[in-house]
Amino acid sequence: MKFLRDIFLLAVSAAILSFACPHLLTAQNVDAAALLNPSKDSWPSYHGDYSGKRHSPLTQITPKNVGNLSLAWAFQTDQNASIKASPLLVDGILYFTVPDNLWAVDARSGHQIWHYTYQPNKGDHIGQRGVAIYKDWVFFMGPDAHMVSLNAKDGTVRWNIAVADVNKGYWTTMAPLIVGNHVIVGVGGDMDNLPGFIKAIDPETGALQWEWDATPPAGTPNTTTGGMTWIPGTYDPDLNLIYWGTGNPTPVLNGKPRPGDNLYTCSIVALNPDTGKLAWAFQVSPHDTHDWDAVEIPVLVDGTFDGKPRKMLIQASRNGYFFVLDRTNGKNLLTTTFGPVNWTTGVDKEGRPIPNPEKEPAPDGRLIAPDEGGMTNYRSPSFDPKTGLFIVDAHPSYSIYFAKPADGDYGWAGADYGLWGKGVLEAIDYQTGKIRWSHELGPGGAGAGVLTTDSGVTFTGDAHGNVLALDTKDGKTLWHAGSGAAMQSSPITYELDGRQYVLTGNGGVLFAWTLPEGMVSGGKSASAK
Amino acid sequence: MKRSVTITFLVVVTGFFLSLNHQAPIYAASSGAAAANQAAAPSTSDKPAGAHSAEPSGAQLYQNDCAICHGEKMEGILPAFPPLAGIGRQLSPQQITDLIHHGKGRMPAFTKLRDDEVAALLHYLTASQTVVASATTPSTSPALAAHASALTEMGRSLFQQNCAFCHGREADGGETGPDLTRSKLVAADVGGDKIGEVVRNGRPEKKMPRFNFSEQEVAGLSDFIHAQAIRAQSMKGHRRGVDVSDLQTGNAAAGKQYFNGTGNCASCHSASGDLAGIASRYEGLDLERHMLYPEHAKSKVTVTPPSGQTVDGTLAYLDEFTVALRDGNGTYRSWKVSKVKYSVDSPVEAHVELFSKYTDADIHNLMAYLQTLR
Repeated sequence: MKFLRDIFLLAVSAAILSFACPHLLTAQNVDAAALLNPSKDSWPSYHGDYSGKRHSPLTQITPKNVGNLSLAWAFQTDQNASIKASPLLVDGILYFTVPDNLWAVDARSGHQIWHYTYQPNKGDHIGQRGVAIYKDWVFFMGPDAHMVSLNAKDGTVRWNIAVADVNKGYWTTMAPLIVGNHVIVGVGGDMDNLPGFIKAIDPETGALQWEWDATPPAGTPNTTTGGMTWIPGTYDPDLNLIYWGTGNPTPVLNGKPRPGDNLYTCSIVALNPDTGKLAWAFQVSPHDTHDWDAVEIPVLVDGTFDGKPRKMLIQASRNGYFFVLDRTNGKNLLTTTFGPVNWTTGVDKEGRPIPNPEKEPAPDGRLIAPDEGGMTNYRSPSFDPKTGLFIVDAHPSYSIYFAKPADGDYGWAGADYGLWGKGVLEAIDYQTGKIRWSHELGPGGAGAGVLTTDSGVTFTGDAHGNVLALDTKDGKTLWHAGSGAAMQSSPITYELDGRQYVLTGNGGVLFAWTLPEGMVSGGKSASAK
Repeated sequence: MKRSVTITFLVVVTGFFLSLNHQAPIYAASSGAAAANQAAAPSTSDKPAGAHSAEPSGAQLYQNDCAICHGEKMEGILPAFPPLAGIGRQLSPQQITDLIHHGKGRMPAFTKLRDDEVAALLHYLTASQTVVASATTPSTSPALAAHASALTEMGRSLFQQNCAFCHGREADGGETGPDLTRSKLVAADVGGDKIGEVVRNGRPEKKMPRFNFSEQEVAGLSDFIHAQAIRAQSMKGHRRGVDVSDLQTGNAAAGKQYFNGTGNCASCHSASGDLAGIASRYEGLDLERHMLYPEHAKSKVTVTPPSGQTVDGTLAYLDEFTVALRDGNGTYRSWKVSKVKYSVDSPVEAHVELFSKYTDADIHNLMAYLQTLR
């Protein structure tokens, strides 16, 4: 009898507990709903949500109080490599990376929970942009083009599969994108003439579900290779399409062996996430000869354009052009430049820039704007819905490009040299492409990602290693902190225990910024989660 | 804690053997702070080699306890496991002993090794330093040749992982990074003395990060880079790069006209003044880059603090918040931007204004003209 009573009591307490602390039961269980509608105390995927806006609904940190922002904690990776990852936050635990390294860190204190070290390998260690989480599993890409599935609780490895052959010259750096029952991943590798592709992997078994090839197999006559796919795309659940940018064609600087537009390199593609079938493609750089990958975030925005409600896709591209597309069909709504560009003869009727053959790399050099790093690069821009501003780290720049027959037709096949550049944060009105405000970030360029919040604060970094908080409406500086190293990642934000944190990776250190405890406890700004 | 270390080590060992067999590799996840490791690694120290012999063999101990991570020839497995070749030049015997006893990072502590075993291991580790130190001198000994090529191979591996993205896989230039096989600094480098300085300090103004490599790693890197430079010289015409002869397509007369006319260069420069002999000081691409944007040109700044006493000097730093200069005595001084007035005189900015005005022919013509100023 006592036994039965104990069982009964146990069951009751379990039921009470489960109502009182629902998160205990869902710990580290990232499902489709969590990814579609992330809670304020989470940042469960690379962009935070599927839209790629990198905009947070949080409002505790405001233009008025951000001047008081202070350090909550800092995490030292003790690695040479800079943090290029966008951290994930799930159930109070942060997951972030540098090449060969993955950490799980307590988001409240910044102390390490576990640290996973990948095997020595010969893949390119240029960067690691973070991980994906699905259910209890973390998905991490090794530099050697392998995907590793680990237990989120303790970092133990479940499986490790090759998504491409490192011996051919592929590598991987990206955070995979989880859509439904698919772990979607792309590859890097333009030092060789290799086709780029996107693969969907089964999250449980590591088995290949589908593959979409950006370019034909190497050796196909009169075609291109390339079209690497190294930054996670975005997803529209209503249209059931993923949007992904593809990289430059190869050989990189020599366009002669690959006549024509070189589809689907330097393109934005829309794919069915369940089958990998191409719905549409828009090429932002036909026949590229300047290494301008179009992998910059395809940001999904719902709003009006020319007075009509539209489902749009916006990209500020490495080639210096700003594009607004109708994402239901890939039709162009706006093409304009967002800095000095000198490599085109105009824009065609489909909204694609027309490359000027005179500006292809040549034996005696061609002056090109922007430089090879581009008018912007892979770090995320942000879209602020209230102001309609698309805020991007821009890089006005000039360079000289060379190519001659002796440089051959394999891999780089030429040489280019940056001459000058600077960093400018630009706030672009998406309906016109006009720059509403700009904020100088310093010589050379900043390269930091951008985060905006509903309270009207924009976070980014400058060329000198300052972390900046700006007023979204006019770009004026509200707060800064010298971090000692440039921000090579994109900031994130979340709210834990009633406090809003902003995370920035500067050099090899992850910084957590928050308002002093006294300023927010019990105040009206402290909102429930 | 002991259990987790045990598991860690077993996983390391398993992963290593799996990768040797080209299986899908598994690697280590360590729990908690690795520095707190105190337990010995059981798979080795439970059965230490030579435990029953009167004179422990350093080589045998090394093969049993160390080679799994640091390599059979002490070449290491980078970036995870450092090479130990030449460790005696980097660490004192006491430091090495401490490392063996206490471990560090992922390295387990070997608490069960007896003092005579540690001594034997130390002798083995430091005796081999002379081998590596002389490895760069020509030798017919296969053992020495193996060490030399191990060093270059270690350098190659390190280069592929850390440098190749910018400098190209063959060190002949790539995304943003210059061709090292033609670098004057590399040509002047002896045994990593100049390369090491750049690697350790980085070149922040050119966005090159600094790398915290050991002396041994720098030696490997410079060996690899020198080998690539030699290789590149034997492949003339087959690799990319810009030769002086590539930059001879312009017309000097048209360049002179541009210099004195449309380009307005003559408003700051003079062929008989600051540019006299410029083509003797720079040539080829170097000259062209200096012509288009002399990135080391200094700017002047005048700062007026609230006291009203202005300070002039060479601009040393400027961001939104801080302005700094070096005054005539070479003294560095800085101010909060919000507290002072300042004005910067940056003549080099005129070069930026020209970028949007040049045609490629203007540039080639200017180059032709400047090359006449010897």
